[in-house]
Amino acid sequence: MHRFLSRCLCVLMLLCASSLLAQQSAPKSSDVLIKNATLLTATHGRIEHGSVYVKGGKIAAFGANVTAPADVPVVDAAGKFVTPGVIDSHSHIALDDDVNEATSPIVPHMMMKDAFNYTDKQIYLALAGGVTSALLLHGSADMIGGQAIVIKTKYGFSRDEMLFPNAPRSIKFASGENPKRVFGGKGQLPSTRMGNFAVQRQALLEAKQYMQDWDEYEAKVKKGDKDAKAPKRDLKLEALADVLRGKLMVQIHCYRADEFLTEIAMAHEFGYKIRAFHHALEAYKVADQIAKEGIAIDTFSDWWGYKYEAWDAIPWNAVMSMRKGIRVAIKSDSEDYMRRLNQEAAKTMRYGGATEDEAIKMITLNAAWIMGVDDKTGSIDVGKDADLVMWNSYPLSSAALADKVWIDGQLFFDRSLPGYGMPNYKEGN
Amino acid sequence: MKKQSAISIQCSVIKVVFFLLMFGGFAFGQQTAPIALKGGKLLTITHGTIENGVIVMENGRITAVGPASTAIPRNAKVVDATGMTIYPGLIDSETHLGLTEISADKMTNDLIELSDEIMPHMHVYEAFHAETELIPVTRINGITNAIVAPSNTDTLPGQDIFIQLDGTSARDMIVAKDVAMPLNFTGEQRRNDSFDKAKFPQTRMGMAAQLRQTFVDAQDYMKKWDDYNNNSAADKEKASAPKRDLKLEALVPYLKGERPVVLAADTPGDVDTAVSLAKEFNLKFVLNHVRHSQKVLDYIATLQVPVIVGPIYEQPKENERYDAVFSLPAELHRRGVKVLLASDDSHQARNLPYQAGYAVAFGLPYDEALKSITLYPAQVWGMEKQLGSLDVGKTANVVVANGDPLDVKTDVKHVFINGREIPLESRQTLLRDHYSK
Repeated sequence: MHRFLSRCLCVLMLLCASSLLAQQSAPKSSDVLIKNATLLTATHGRIEHGSVYVKGGKIAAFGANVTAPADVPVVDAAGKFVTPGVIDSHSHIALDDDVNEATSPIVPHMMMKDAFNYTDKQIYLALAGGVTSALLLHGSADMIGGQAIVIKTKYGFSRDEMLFPNAPRSIKFASGENPKRVFGGKGQLPSTRMGNFAVQRQALLEAKQYMQDWDEYEAKVKKGDKDAKAPKRDLKLEALADVLRGKLMVQIHCYRADEFLTEIAMAHEFGYKIRAFHHALEAYKVADQIAKEGIAIDTFSDWWGYKYEAWDAIPWNAVMSMRKGIRVAIKSDSEDYMRRLNQEAAKTMRYGGATEDEAIKMITLNAAWIMGVDDKTGSIDVGKDADLVMWNSYPLSSAALADKVWIDGQLFFDRSLPGYGMPNYKEGN
Repeated sequence: MKKQSAISIQCSVIKVVFFLLMFGGFAFGQQTAPIALKGGKLLTITHGTIENGVIVMENGRITAVGPASTAIPRNAKVVDATGMTIYPGLIDSETHLGLTEISADKMTNDLIELSDEIMPHMHVYEAFHAETELIPVTRINGITNAIVAPSNTDTLPGQDIFIQLDGTSARDMIVAKDVAMPLNFTGEQRRNDSFDKAKFPQTRMGMAAQLRQTFVDAQDYMKKWDDYNNNSAADKEKASAPKRDLKLEALVPYLKGERPVVLAADTPGDVDTAVSLAKEFNLKFVLNHVRHSQKVLDYIATLQVPVIVGPIYEQPKENERYDAVFSLPAELHRRGVKVLLASDDSHQARNLPYQAGYAVAFGLPYDEALKSITLYPAQVWGMEKQLGSLDVGKTANVVVANGDPLDVKTDVKHVFINGREIPLESRQTLLRDHYSK
C-alpha cells in the first residue's frame, strides 16, 4: 500500500515537474532591432535616436546608425528609453524560508542553489520591474554564511536555465547586530562584536591549516609519493579554503564604520580580498579607507533607523562614497524594492547629485561587477548578453514603467500583453 | 446603499479642532514677518496652476494667492521662487511618527498594545514623542501634516492623532486628538491560531464576534449614561452614576457617529465583514488598504466612502498580475472613489510623494494623485478649512521645490509650517555635513 502511494506520488511529481518545465517554450529566433530609442548605455553615456541590434542573444551593434538584415523583426521605441537590464546584487527572493541556516555561525558549505525555488513568483515581479539578473545570497544570521547563486530572471524556465552561466562563486559573510542577536539570544557565542570576530578568526585559522594540509598532500603526490595520505575532506573547511585561495568572492553584510575596518584587517591577516560591503550604511564615514582597498559597496538609497547600526544611515551615503572613489551599487534586499530599483537609483541624483550615468551604473554595471559578471552584462556594449529594458518614460523617475524586458535577446516581459505580460509563459499545471 | 454610511465629518469634530487651533495647537512658532514667494509655479489644488505666481503668508495664514501682479505687503520678506514649484504641505494619512525611533529596539517603540485585541482606550497622544528624529527627516521632504496611528495588529488598537510636523512639544504639534479610530480586519490581527495555546479569538469569526460583543456592550453603556444624564438634577442626586469603563467610553463617540472609523480590510471577504459590522452599528467610516479587493471595486464604489490606498507596494497575490496593487488608486478613481494615499510607515514616510507619482504611472490622473496627499486627506480628517490647498485663509503650510513634487529627483528648497520657515536640517543632514568637512 505504502509502495503504491509513494509510486503515485513519484508519478505525480514527475508530471508536475514536466509541466513546469514546459511553461515557457523557447522562442524561435531572438534576433531583434530596437529602433529610435534614447539609449542610456551605462558605458557610453546617452545616445539619442539610438538603436540596438540583438543577434543570437548578444548585442551585435548599437548607436545612432545601426543597420540589420531586412528580415530581423523591428521594435519601434520612439519616445522610449532603453537601458541595460537592471541588476540586483543583493536579494533573497526564491529561497522560500531557507535564507538562514542559523544553527551555527559558520556555515560556508550551505549552497543557495539547494534552496532555490525557481518557481517563486517574486522572480516574475522583479522581471516586470526590469530586473534581468540577481545575486541570491544567504542571510546575515551567521558570521560566515553560505554560497550565493547568480540568476537570470527567466521566469518559467527550469532551475538550471535560470542560473547565470559561468558566474563566479560568491560567499556571504556578516557582522554586527544580526549574528550577535541570533546566537546571543540562544546564550551562545557570539553575543558581542568581539565574539563575532573571534568566531570568524577561529574558522579562518582552521581553514588555513586545512589548506596547508591539502597543499602538502598534493605536493607529495606531485613528487610521486605513493604513501601520501589524503587528509579527510571537510566541506566546511574546503569552502573556507576556497575563500583563502581567492576562489570565492567575499560579500560582507556590514554596517558600521569600525566594522569595515576590522573586516579589512581580517582580510589582510588571512590574505583574501573583499569584493563588496553590503548595506554599508556608514561607508561615508570611512570612504577613503574602503576606496583604497578597491572594495565596492552595495547599499540602500535611503533606508534607515530599523536598528542601531542603521541609525547613522544617510541618503547621501551612496554619492559621498562614490566621490571618494568607491564603486557603488544600489540593491534591494527586498522583494518590494526589487520591483522598482530604477527609482532607488534616481534618488542618488537628488541626494548628492549623481549624474544620469552614475545613477544607471549603480543598478547595472556596478552591480554586475559585485557579482563578477560585468564582462557579460550590465551595459549596452557589443558582445554582451542582450539583457535590455525598454521603459515607457525616463527610467530615473517615479513614473517610469518597464514596457519590455529582454534576457539573452529573448522577450520575457511585455507590459502590453494581457494576463501576466509574459509572452511565452503559461500558467503551469 | 444607506446614505449615513458615507462619511461627512461632523460639526463636533470641527468644533474640537477649532478649539485646539484657538487655544492650543498653533501657539508655538508664530510667524514674525510676512513672507512672499514670487515667480514660482503655484499648484493651488483647488483652482488650478498659476505660472509665475505670488503667494503671501502672514501671521501663519495664506493671505494672497495669485498672478505676478498680486500685491505684496511692503514689509514682507520676498523669496525669489523663479523656476520653482510651490504646493501645499503634503498630508500623510497613516504614519507611526513619534511612536517609534529604532525599529529593532523595543524600548523606543510604542506602536501597539498587544495584551488584547480590543484597545480603543489607547490614545496615541499619550505616547507621541515630539522630539523624535524622524519628524525633521520627514518634513524636509515636504510632508507637513500626518495622521499618527497605532500599528495594525489589534482589531481596535486605539485612537489616532492629527499632527503638524513642527513644534517644540507635543502640545504644539498635535492639531487634533482622537481624530479617528482604526478598526482592522485584514487577517493580521489573528494571532492565536496555534492549536497549542488556543485563546479566543482564534479565527476571523472569533474576531468579528469579539468586535460585535464589544460594540453591543458599548451601546448598552452609552444608553446607561444617556439615561443617567437625562435625569433631572434632583433625580441625579438619588441615582448613582454608572461605573465608568474606559474601553466602552472610548467607543461612544464612534457609535454616535461623531468621528470616523478607519476600516482596514484587504480581501473581498474581509471588506464584507468589516463593512457589515460598521453598518450594524451605524459607524461613520472610511476604508483603508483594500489591497486584494480588485474583484469588488464596483461594490466598494457604491459605499460612497473615501478609500485610503496605501501603501501601494503590497505584493500581489499568487494569481494576480504584477501591477494588481500598483494600479488600485487608478481603478478606484475610475469608479468615482475619492482616493487617499498613505505611507503606513515612519522612517520612510518621507517617500509619500513618490508613491503618488508611481500611482500616476499606473493610470491615476496627476491632479488626483496630488489631491490624494493634500486636499482629500484635509477633507477626511476635518481640516479642509485649514489645510490641503493654496487658498487665502488657510494655514500657511507651503512647500517650495525645484520640480515635480511627485518625482524622486525633486529637491525641496523651502518648507513653511504655519508661515514659519523650517530649517532644512535633520540628524541626517548634520551627519552629512559633519563628514563632508
